[in-house]
Amino acid sequence: MDSKFDDDMLVCRCEEVTVGEIKEAIAQGARDVVGVKRRTRAGMGLCQGRTCEKMVQQILCQELGISPEEAGCSSIRPPARPITFGTLAGGMKE
Amino acid sequence: MKYYDAIVIGGGLQGTSTAYFLAKKGLRVALLERDDIASGTASHTDGATLISDKQPGIDVLQGYHSVELYRKLVKEFSYDIEFESCGFMYVCETDQEMEAAADYAAKVSAQGFDMRVIDQKEMCERERYLAKDLKGGLWTESDGLVNPYKVCLGFVEEGRKYGLDVYTHHEVTGIRLNKKNQVEAVITDRETFLTDKVVNACGVWAPAIGNMVGLDIPIEPRKGILLVTEKSETIAHTEVLEFGYWLAKFFADFKRPVSELVERHNVCLNIETTHSGNTIVGGCRLFRGYDIKVEYEIMQAIAERAIRFFPILKDMNCIRSFGGIRPFCLDHLPIVSGVEEVPGFYIAAGHEGDGVALAPITGLLISQMITGEKTEFDATELAWSRFKNVDRKKLAAHGN
Repeated sequence: MDSKFDDDMLVCRCEEVTVGEIKEAIAQGARDVVGVKRRTRAGMGLCQGRTCEKMVQQILCQELGISPEEAGCSSIRPPARPITFGTLAGGMKE
Repeated sequence: MKYYDAIVIGGGLQGTSTAYFLAKKGLRVALLERDDIASGTASHTDGATLISDKQPGIDVLQGYHSVELYRKLVKEFSYDIEFESCGFMYVCETDQEMEAAADYAAKVSAQGFDMRVIDQKEMCERERYLAKDLKGGLWTESDGLVNPYKVCLGFVEEGRKYGLDVYTHHEVTGIRLNKKNQVEAVITDRETFLTDKVVNACGVWAPAIGNMVGLDIPIEPRKGILLVTEKSETIAHTEVLEFGYWLAKFFADFKRPVSELVERHNVCLNIETTHSGNTIVGGCRLFRGYDIKVEYEIMQAIAERAIRFFPILKDMNCIRSFGGIRPFCLDHLPIVSGVEEVPGFYIAAGHEGDGVALAPITGLLISQMITGEKTEFDATELAWSRFKNVDRKKLAAHGN
């Protein structure tokens, strides 16, 4: 990521997490995407990181000098997209 | 080589709490964690902080002390652990459950704690989205919620103010004992630390650390699965569990009027709306080894059970699920204790679903044991010695 991005730029739109907050989480000890997520909620919203995950990864790479593989990605958990409890309870038959 | 007065292994709830209290007492303390803080059980669970959901006796007593400690800690911490004194409700589906609940509340009240029976009307006033055909329940005013991984991060940040050293991504590979079997050093994959006091706060992984000093710790991973809703208005204003959860936990022969699917997967409702506005819905207690994979059938059973109590969920979205493993101890009580046969070795593990609630008191008790102070209360029942020279099968608690 180009370091010209300001600290107040939004990275995770769902949870409204900025570049600055992500850098702070890294300073507190986050080493990967999941560590950032836990400290900032980036990637915990409705889209589950689809929008911001790559960017969080890039900030980690830039701040820690690591590879995207080392920065990792969030663990994938069902459902693949939002689904109502009613549909879930019915055995996911829509 | 670095020397520490005490080394705590495990960056979860019990480990971070213990490290915090030890550092606060002025000891030179290191916290070792093989991954990141709160990367295991603490970030794969809900935030129930209850004196309820425990057995009358030492279990409720430690719950009470712990919830009161949370109240004190949030005043001292500048780090927000999202503590919410929202109260706790057990809901009953049948008259049989109401009878058992009344009996349980009477026992807890007799111990001097605040838990009372509430009727259907009060229940629905407190939780307006509850199904209207439920019988009533129990109310515990003092119970609440925290954000479990923030509790860990909070203990670490606050502990650092007292000089706590935190070594994440350091995996313990061995513990060196001297000729008298006393703790001498902790070996990690990166460096070795000298110390004569070590705390095994590794939860479901505590048996592996125990093995390093020749102990057979009777803890097994027990899996829970939770669903997360989209953000919405507050669905649950309090922490809510079905009373059948408690009955199923302590009385193996108890049967609920549930579907075969719910019964087979041991699914019971628990629900809480978190600070973020998402609602966490569970849950189940299953033995699946160390696997935390989410099982689709269980998601289905949880959704079915949750809609039975909170019909509003039917049209709400589930955005994520997650599984986690909790440290189930043979007799349903955690081990919070020194180990006589290995001087300098302490265990703070085995809390199963109560680890969030009990973290503060566990950390405080261990810190008091290490410094040789009088403990907050008599914790003999939590001692490691209860497993010595006994048939462990006979020790296993009734229930599941």
